Amino acid sequence: MIDTIYIEEEIANHPRTLAILKRFPEATKISCQRYGEVFNSKSQNFRLQKKQPALILARKHKGLVLPSPKEYAIGAEHNYYFSHMLNCLYDCRYCFLQGKFQSAHYVLFVNYEDFIEEMQLILNQHDEEAVHFFSGYDCDSLALEPVTDFTNDFFPFFEKNTRALLEIRTKSTQIRSLLKRSPIKNCVVAFSFTPDKIARALENKAPDINKRLQAILDLQKAGWQIGLRFDPLIYTKDYAKEYSELFNEIFSKIDPDLTHSISLGGFRLPKDYFRKLEKLYPDEKLFASPQAEEKNNIGYPAEIRHEMLDFCENIITQHVPAEKFFPCHESV
Amino acid sequence: MIHLFCALPCEAEPLIQHFKLSDIKEFDLFRIYQSKDKEISLTTTGIGKLNMAAAVSYQHACLKTSAGDIWLNIGVAGHANIPLGEARLVNKITDEHDNASWYPQIIFNSPCASTNLITLDNPSTEYQDALFDMEASAFYQLAIRLGTAELIHCLKIISDNTEQNTATVNADKVKKMIAAKIQTIEKLIGCLKPLSAEIHSITAEPKHYQHFIEKWHFTKSESLQLSRLLRQWSLCLPDVDIMPLVAENKSGKTVLNTLRESINNSEFAIHD
Repeated sequence: MIDTIYIEEEIANHPRTLAILKRFPEATKISCQRYGEVFNSKSQNFRLQKKQPALILARKHKGLVLPSPKEYAIGAEHNYYFSHMLNCLYDCRYCFLQGKFQSAHYVLFVNYEDFIEEMQLILNQHDEEAVHFFSGYDCDSLALEPVTDFTNDFFPFFEKNTRALLEIRTKSTQIRSLLKRSPIKNCVVAFSFTPDKIARALENKAPDINKRLQAILDLQKAGWQIGLRFDPLIYTKDYAKEYSELFNEIFSKIDPDLTHSISLGGFRLPKDYFRKLEKLYPDEKLFASPQAEEKNNIGYPAEIRHEMLDFCENIITQHVPAEKFFPCHESV
Repeated sequence: MIHLFCALPCEAEPLIQHFKLSDIKEFDLFRIYQSKDKEISLTTTGIGKLNMAAAVSYQHACLKTSAGDIWLNIGVAGHANIPLGEARLVNKITDEHDNASWYPQIIFNSPCASTNLITLDNPSTEYQDALFDMEASAFYQLAIRLGTAELIHCLKIISDNTEQNTATVNADKVKKMIAAKIQTIEKLIGCLKPLSAEIHSITAEPKHYQHFIEKWHFTKSESLQLSRLLRQWSLCLPDVDIMPLVAENKSGKTVLNTLRESINNSEFAIHD
């Protein structure tokens, strides 16, 4: 799976680096001073690199935990996100990471202890208030779990600090590490979904809808709280039928009591990212979708966006109480 | 196109013979050879970074390269302990002069192992656990401005090591060493060609683009819009003949409006 590993000199002897390298004895190891030398170089092609991404082991120096926009909140006043990884195992055509990053290589920041220290400082700033921490903005939180051991290192912090809530955003079925342990009440495992036919067209290499649903059922059975993320909503002529079927399938099977939150939002990208993706994938139909430009973002025209959000909202609110529903009514 | 660069004529000769390349007489600053179908070219650069940098620029200017082209620096190099005659692809290039590094992206199953390389200003026999040469950093720095890291590579064949230093190397030996690794070079090119084709396919002009540009006037920004709309047309309305629809238009602007309107009015399905 990983043929090449770049290693920042600074963390070459970090225990997590050594443990990961042990997993890949055959991989070619290449040392670098800073991961940006490899990852941020302009003359490289994301599409080509996606065929065989390398792993880059690095140290995150600053900006470890950052405030997240209010539109993406799921019930708390104070919201932050962090990325122990950059890039994702999957190849979803709508993913903004393809526009954000020059490289498709996976960057793993091995200094988890610094992330946790930063989270503790933030928690201390918000005395006695709930603080939500989101993981999975710049990566899929669980997709590389067997390599990253992410949950094993981050969960103790949340077990100790019940005021903090962790959202793990994923499409992965790598849930073994979660099933092996007792559920953490202040952790939400949030799965992203699009209808089956859309997922088949756009979510390359991601587990299919049934597998994701099965992972949810297994986690709920073990007592874990689940989030459902219908973001991005993808427009197609039969979207109403396809989303109805998806909602019916999911809500007929999951336990509403162990469903922490549901959110949704229309497909939209910063204009620069959208234009880059168009160039990378000129034959991709998604980028020929009806589109409008607003505030330097490109997304669906308002009419389609509102129609889709209203349609989905109507169905979702029949299944879950309003306090668990968090639509993202961001403009495109 | 595939652009090969060798510092020495003795490194180039086996490649010129194998790929049946002919000298292009019109270019005289550096010797440039080319295959009949113009798909492969080779430039002999002379020793050192300055020569290499000048040769890459010259080749680009003479042959009008494109973003999806393959760039290869092929030659001999020293190493502390890799046996003579073995080939290595380079995965990291460091310029000894300023310690700057570059990382060629090996995203295919390489036909040989890869290792790091140090480009020196002067020859040295103080071998390290790295390849030594005198051109690669200059080659890569220039080529990376013209192409993409996945398609720019250095392949080196070990000519000297701690047991047999540079004093034992001569032109005849170099020719034989390169000739013995032609198959590895062929395999490398075979790995790179599909990647190159992919870049060419995504940078190609959409169908009808040239015809539209010749028939109507478009500003630069309108040309970009045209390109985007023609692609969208081929995705949204693949079975509809575009030409009758736009034939009556008098200006580029109205052509764009006609295309936009038809695409917007089409029923959009993301999947079949």
